[in-house]
Amino acid sequence: MATQENNDDRIALLQGTLDLLILKTLLLGPCHGQGVARMIQRQSEDVFLVDHGSLYVALQRLEDRKWISAKWGVSENNRKARFYALTPKGREQLAEKAGEWRRLTRAMGLILDASGGLGEEA
Amino acid sequence: MFRQKRSAKDFAEEIKAHLELEADELRGEGLGADEARWKARRAFGNVRAAGERFYLRGRWVALDKLWRDLRFGLRSLRQTPGFAVTAILTLALGIGANTAVFSVMNAVLLKSLPVSDPDRLVYLRTSNPPRGTGTIDSNETFSYSVYDVLRHEGRGLSPVMAYVPLSGSKVAVRYGAQPEEAEGDMVSGTFFSGLGVNLPLGRGFSEDDETNHAPLAVLSYNYWTRRFARDPEVLGKTLYVSGVPMTIVGVAAEGFEGVEGGGSTDFWIPLQNRRELNAWGNPPQDGKLYIADSTWWCLRLIGRLAPGASRAQALAQLQPVFQTAAYVGMGGAPMLGEKPPVLSLADAKSFPGYEMDYGRPLRMLMAMVGLVLLIALANVAMLLMARNAARQREFSLRQALGAGRGELLRQLLTESLILVTAGGTLAWGFAQMATRLLGQWAQIETSLAPDRTVMLFTLGVLVLAALLFGLAPLRVALAGKAELALKTSAATSNMDAGKSRTGRIIVALQMALCVVLLVGGGLLIRTLQNLKNTPLGMDVDGLVVFGVKPNIPSLAEGRAFYLNLLGKLRALPGVESVTVMEERPGSWWSDNSDMRVDGKLPDVANGASRTVRSNVVGPGVFSTLGVPVLAGRDFADSDTATSPYVGIINEEFAKRFLPGVNPLGHTMGTDDGRYTMTIVGVVKNHKYRSIDEEPIPMAWYEYAQIPMVGAMSVEMRVHGDPLAILPAARKAVQGLDPNLPLIRPMTQRQQFDTTIAHQVLFARLAGFFGFLAVVLVATGLYGTLAYRVSLRTAEIGVRMAVGARRGQVVWMILKDSLALTVAGVCLGVPLALLVGRALTSSLYGVKAMDGTSYALAVAGLAVVALVASAVPAGRAASVDPMRALRTE
Repeated sequence: MATQENNDDRIALLQGTLDLLILKTLLLGPCHGQGVARMIQRQSEDVFLVDHGSLYVALQRLEDRKWISAKWGVSENNRKARFYALTPKGREQLAEKAGEWRRLTRAMGLILDASGGLGEEA
Repeated sequence: MFRQKRSAKDFAEEIKAHLELEADELRGEGLGADEARWKARRAFGNVRAAGERFYLRGRWVALDKLWRDLRFGLRSLRQTPGFAVTAILTLALGIGANTAVFSVMNAVLLKSLPVSDPDRLVYLRTSNPPRGTGTIDSNETFSYSVYDVLRHEGRGLSPVMAYVPLSGSKVAVRYGAQPEEAEGDMVSGTFFSGLGVNLPLGRGFSEDDETNHAPLAVLSYNYWTRRFARDPEVLGKTLYVSGVPMTIVGVAAEGFEGVEGGGSTDFWIPLQNRRELNAWGNPPQDGKLYIADSTWWCLRLIGRLAPGASRAQALAQLQPVFQTAAYVGMGGAPMLGEKPPVLSLADAKSFPGYEMDYGRPLRMLMAMVGLVLLIALANVAMLLMARNAARQREFSLRQALGAGRGELLRQLLTESLILVTAGGTLAWGFAQMATRLLGQWAQIETSLAPDRTVMLFTLGVLVLAALLFGLAPLRVALAGKAELALKTSAATSNMDAGKSRTGRIIVALQMALCVVLLVGGGLLIRTLQNLKNTPLGMDVDGLVVFGVKPNIPSLAEGRAFYLNLLGKLRALPGVESVTVMEERPGSWWSDNSDMRVDGKLPDVANGASRTVRSNVVGPGVFSTLGVPVLAGRDFADSDTATSPYVGIINEEFAKRFLPGVNPLGHTMGTDDGRYTMTIVGVVKNHKYRSIDEEPIPMAWYEYAQIPMVGAMSVEMRVHGDPLAILPAARKAVQGLDPNLPLIRPMTQRQQFDTTIAHQVLFARLAGFFGFLAVVLVATGLYGTLAYRVSLRTAEIGVRMAVGARRGQVVWMILKDSLALTVAGVCLGVPLALLVGRALTSSLYGVKAMDGTSYALAVAGLAVVALVASAVPAGRAASVDPMRALRTE
């Protein structure tokens, strides 16, 4: 499999979060795969490491589910690229998944914070 | 949904675009062109893995894999065509035979009557008829008066329906100009509505039709197809039944051919009340038709349980009504000491007649083909195991190259699927043919077309076979671990001991089954020979017989008709002699009654039967039949209505009722004392009803002297081919009455053969299946031995290199199969004894323990074993030691 250099400050993406990130990125407008990868990396302040192979499989999966649509186009620097855009169904999914995610992180936060300042000591 | 929307190429394109975009961007950040491209690639990771994941994403993969497996399976089967053909043919024969026999069994024994809600239908049965009645069947037939009371007062059943044939066999009909014969029933007006039979064309009968004895007819779908080419214009046309015009008003649903098994009704008419259409085609008894004659129990009854009534409730309500009705017109009550008849209700879900006629033989056949199937399945499984053992290196190699157990299993299952599909398809075609032939031979006229049950049965067998064939070889395939691929082939011959033990056990078991089938087939074929060679006591060669049913209003006219007919037929060229008789020999029919001898019922020693079979015959009957007259004389033209009444008896009659005296000159008479005849002749015992009967007392009367002139059979002894006389005879008959067909014309030999038709069919099929088993066992044995020899090539080479002679090598191989044969025989003979005992009632002139049959079966098996071993043994003996060793 792909060997990746292991930068300490980067985290491999959690299973299932990639879909959410892609949808969120596409909310800003149609974009090609490379752009999506870049944007995720940049917006997470380089914390997330996006495995490009997985990204494309995920894009295809979302396309198969009709959450995003795709068509070939030309990038700003005149390269041929496949552009992805959010479908209405994708928008619904984004809202739903984002809500789920917030509930999850809130619950996680409650538990972790309640244990009495373990985070601060580290 | 299953459309593959995006090609792998498109995906690769996208990744290429990604890499370029990424490289652009990196260059923008200040990297050199090469470094940017390299870094973009590194950041992406494994491009090919991504492509693969894209490819695997689809649901298509499973189908795609199956397709690849199929192609692979076909390719590997094509490499061994001998194996593939043998396996497929074996399967086709085994499964085909099962499907065929099951089709017949399903149609005959398992299928329900094609009526609505058959579970609520019941046949009416009686324990016995009241004393002083005549019956068709002492348990199954009732008088019209019983029917009439039950249908009005029998509230447990709604309705009660009666049906009765117009003749014991077929009745004369005419549509257009040509007279012909067909099977017809008279039925209640409620018959079609009560049974719930649909009429796709026209209408059924109403109760008014019954009351008015309306001249209407409904055709069976089969008859409509066969005779009228499904012409819808047939409604309203006239069908003459025994010369009486009937208007065709309907066609019954396809598949409905009456509610009795054994025959198929061609048409139905409402219950009639006229001389030409008396029940069973009988002449009126004492001037009374079946409707007026309470002492003739001739109607069959079927009923539908009244809504909400259980069978027990219905019976409880009907019983007293029936027991009163039984004596209507017969004094109203049982005679002193007479046991009154008891009504019972029998399931009418399927044909009871079929169960009686075909139940046992069909179940036997089913068991036999079941054994054949076992042998066939075992054979193919063994062939597969042998083949896959030979492919062990292939499997090992594939495992070494990373194929999982799952993949191997899938491949084996696919191969077995191919075999089973091909075999199954062939089997289905084969079964269709076999079923049709079976139906013809057995003279089963019900439709035998396979239905859903048959298809499910076949499918079940096929699935079983596919699983068995897929799983059995898997053990062998997996036994060779991956590392085996790296070893030499000598390793394989070591591995082999355990597996081939299984193979040997299977062959021995197959041989045991083969012995069972051979013994069963042998016993039945000897039965067949015995039946065929049974002396009939008469000279049937040159005899032809046919029936005529003239429309005769009076006895005198009847006598005149037959006198006239005899004269015309005797005058035909090539005719030696002609006579008439009420019942033709070999038809299963007979008149049975007690008789008076010298004015009283004869005393018989220790309760032996007093029953006498009688027949009404014409002049010269015994010289025509070729039955020797031992004492006295034959009937002659000089015996007439006005001359003294005379009778003739057989040896058995004389022995039982007139022992130790000269019977000539003694008298015999009917039970009721109305007719008395002087015995003028004694004839040799001969077969009368059927080939396999035992001699029983018989008596013959002259037709001119007994008031029983209706339908008769004509026997003609001719020179040359007996059937060649029929056109001339037909002309002579129709010269007297153009409405008369010849009824069931055939040679007397054929007539007798009909009485053993079932046994003949059963024996032939059993023989055939025995033969099939032998062929299958031979292939199996050959396959196993040939395989074992091929594995032992190296060993044989070594043996020969160190000085073993050819004879020794051959013996080594033969010893192997002889051991198997002995084991098979030891196991098979006790099994065969059990089967023989089960067959006892189907045997004739041969005992279940018949030594010859057993000896022949064992010898047959030994021959098969030797022949099957000869080729592999020969091959072993011709092994070239050097070459054998070099193959290592």
